[in-house]
Amino acid sequence: MKLLSKKGMLFIFLIIAIIGAFIVYKMANKSHLDISSSAPKITIEATKLIDEFLIDETTANTNYLDKLIAVKGTISDIKIEDKKGIISLKTEDDFGSVLCHLSIEATQNLSELEIGQNIQIKGICTGFLMDVILVRCEIINQ
Amino acid sequence: MNYLISTLALFLCLHTAQSQERYLTKNGTITFFSKAPIENIEAKNQQVLSIIDASNGSMAISILMKSFLFEKALMQEHFNENYVESDKFPKATFKGTILNFSNISASASKLQVKGTLTIHGESKEITIEGLFSKTTSGIIATGDFIINLDDFKVKIPAVVAKNIAKNIKVSFDFNHQPFQK
Repeated sequence: MKLLSKKGMLFIFLIIAIIGAFIVYKMANKSHLDISSSAPKITIEATKLIDEFLIDETTANTNYLDKLIAVKGTISDIKIEDKKGIISLKTEDDFGSVLCHLSIEATQNLSELEIGQNIQIKGICTGFLMDVILVRCEIINQ
Repeated sequence: MNYLISTLALFLCLHTAQSQERYLTKNGTITFFSKAPIENIEAKNQQVLSIIDASNGSMAISILMKSFLFEKALMQEHFNENYVESDKFPKATFKGTILNFSNISASASKLQVKGTLTIHGESKEITIEGLFSKTTSGIIATGDFIINLDDFKVKIPAVVAKNIAKNIKVSFDFNHQPFQK
């Protein structure tokens, strides 16, 4: 006795193929991490963050690079470049600060912020040049 | 005596402050574009640090590889993990000199920059042509050039070779401002 007819086999094969194609498509188009709904694993003061990069950049890179982190600090500068807001957080270092490049959505609420205000921002840390840089930042409501 | 030393020190400081006409941007833009039969890939980095010393036309650029943002998350993952290995080589740099820098004017003019480009731990001498202009508010530099992935030992697996071009077009847009502090 045949377990399955030719038609049945074809049908099952087709379903597997469709599921396979769907998974491949999903993987190829997997979306970026949704920052606004994700909770950062690390929360750190802006001064402490830049200190860690100044003392040992390699270790700091392993700890923070490509990770979603929350940074606490005082706003020292606000500007908008190419429709995206950039907030600088004050540190004790003479040259460096923590530069938070906001997402387009977060930039819309920029007018509510002012220099000198204490704030918490979360974003992806991409490394250290003169400043520690965070991209795709969102402001954490306090 | 103390007074003399401090006055001298002050003059020295003033002197260096004058001779060091530095212009800098912390949010320069670099985009790269790969045109291939299957898909076009574009990535943008808006956190490029570029410094020009206007006293001699030297230029230094630092780029964080992780700051390149792609449309698709998977592209960004492959770029960082497999191609440029940004955990091992987190930065790309360029150090060079703008040739005939004294010709710079308020209107954009073509100038060449000669220097060393380091990506993926590999250095190569290159000459780039760009449009430069200098006003009281700063120095603007824009342009594009082509880099070859083989020159920087960036290996693309055969499976995806059709998706990624060997020659990548890199565009830059820097708006340097006078550096104070």
